[in-house]
Amino acid sequence: MQNAVEIDSLCKDYGKLQALKNIHLKVPEGTIYGLIGPNGAGKTTLIKALVGALKPTSGIVKVLGMDPLRDKWKLRMQIGYMPQTPSLYDDLSAKRNILFFGSAQQIPDLERKTGEILAFAELTDRADDLVRNFSGGMKKRVSLCCALIHQPKIVFLDEPTAAIDPHLKLQLWKMFRQLANSGVTLFISTHLMEEALLCDQVAILRSGEILIVDTPLKILERGKTTVLISENGVTRESIIDSNPESLATELHRFGLNEHITSVKLQPDDMEDIVLSIIGKKEKQ
Amino acid sequence: MNTLIIARRVIKQLQGDRRFLALSIIAPLIIIYFLKLLFDAFSSPFPITDLMIPISAFILHFLCFILCAILLVQERTRGTLERMLISGYRQSSIIGGYTIGYLGLATIQAAAVLFESLWLFKLDYSKETILILFVVIWLLAIVSVMLGIFISTFARHEGHVFPFIPLIILPSVFLTGLFIDVNDLPGWAEFIGKCLPLHYALNIIHEIIKPEYSLSNTYLDFAILTGYIFFLWVMASVTLRETA
Repeated sequence: MQNAVEIDSLCKDYGKLQALKNIHLKVPEGTIYGLIGPNGAGKTTLIKALVGALKPTSGIVKVLGMDPLRDKWKLRMQIGYMPQTPSLYDDLSAKRNILFFGSAQQIPDLERKTGEILAFAELTDRADDLVRNFSGGMKKRVSLCCALIHQPKIVFLDEPTAAIDPHLKLQLWKMFRQLANSGVTLFISTHLMEEALLCDQVAILRSGEILIVDTPLKILERGKTTVLISENGVTRESIIDSNPESLATELHRFGLNEHITSVKLQPDDMEDIVLSIIGKKEKQ
Repeated sequence: MNTLIIARRVIKQLQGDRRFLALSIIAPLIIIYFLKLLFDAFSSPFPITDLMIPISAFILHFLCFILCAILLVQERTRGTLERMLISGYRQSSIIGGYTIGYLGLATIQAAAVLFESLWLFKLDYSKETILILFVVIWLLAIVSVMLGIFISTFARHEGHVFPFIPLIILPSVFLTGLFIDVNDLPGWAEFIGKCLPLHYALNIIHEIIKPEYSLSNTYLDFAILTGYIFFLWVMASVTLRETA
């Protein structure tokens, strides 16, 4: 599998502030790559460096084999970008917004493609309504349509699900998966740890530094599990790691007898694990 | 092609923003009316015929500059400017589109300001003079639009536009020949005055409102004023940043 994005030793300084510190990343084509981190971690800065909206202080960035600054205009025909804020014209309809941003690329058959993308985002019924009358979630969907209208090979989405309801969040993630299945690479930043589970690969970013890059499952394995065993009305608590052998060892200590009335496992969730990774790094 | 798409978008935006449109057209007319009240209140006669058209040109210069700068800064703060660029629109297309889009409004503004001044102050000029005055004021409006776009690059939000008023607009009042001849100023002040586009528009106006004017005396000033449009277009294209 080829890499859609390759970043080597990327640094970005704003005066004395180091926004990005020696970033190394490889994003395989056709995957959903999650960039997870708290607010101010440098996620937006990294995305802007990838779309050529920002000049890195040092390091090499390649997107689809091109330099985002040197090959800016050629690259922009092949990338989609959904900013954190909707960045739409409120006085235009959903359809007109998509047509306007799509027109920049001189796409053939733009009207038909706009209709298709509106249907994909389940916005056909509201296509001619002004964006100013849309809810935050609907604006996000229009914004996504604007990023996808020219059928890009890679889409950069900056906090696409921030401040929207769980139902719409689910809908958006369904769309992201559909896109990835069709071969599009998605680079998604989020501060919502549970969304990491929906990605194929995840990088955790804190204070401009990549702390860990792995699959969500592997990251989950780094978590701890709390075992609560109740025997003769007394509950004992012990903490084990995620290996199945560790649970067996813990149970052997007690032996499974009739006095054990319940065994409860409380594994760490993604948020606990990410916070513990960030916390460990902060202590170092 | 992209320039025209953006121009259409700007026109649509202007049409939709009634408050902005009203401010752009009615505000200069009200200011000119207030000037009429002021000049009428002076006990001794005021050289209205020499002053009124230059003052009208300045009012339009100021309003076009500030309104266009604010429009562009709004594009930046809303994130649509960044999105336009990342979608593939180029800086030169955006500036061209804005200028063409604003052209219609600038034409209405120039005509309204000129005809109100002629009517209120009973200025009696030939049709040819009025036509040339209109062209000068219109060209100045375009320069002001370009200047506004250029300055918007240095502003992160609408409030940042205002410090440029004392930096660029106020010196135009004192140093470009609006009230006194620039040649009567100290050398350095004369130099600053000659760097400001209003100076060249005023040169043309001062010549044209003479009873016996010579059009050939205005050619150089017309060329410089037009040159300002291209110069500011290039400057704005080079400096228009993608992000705040």
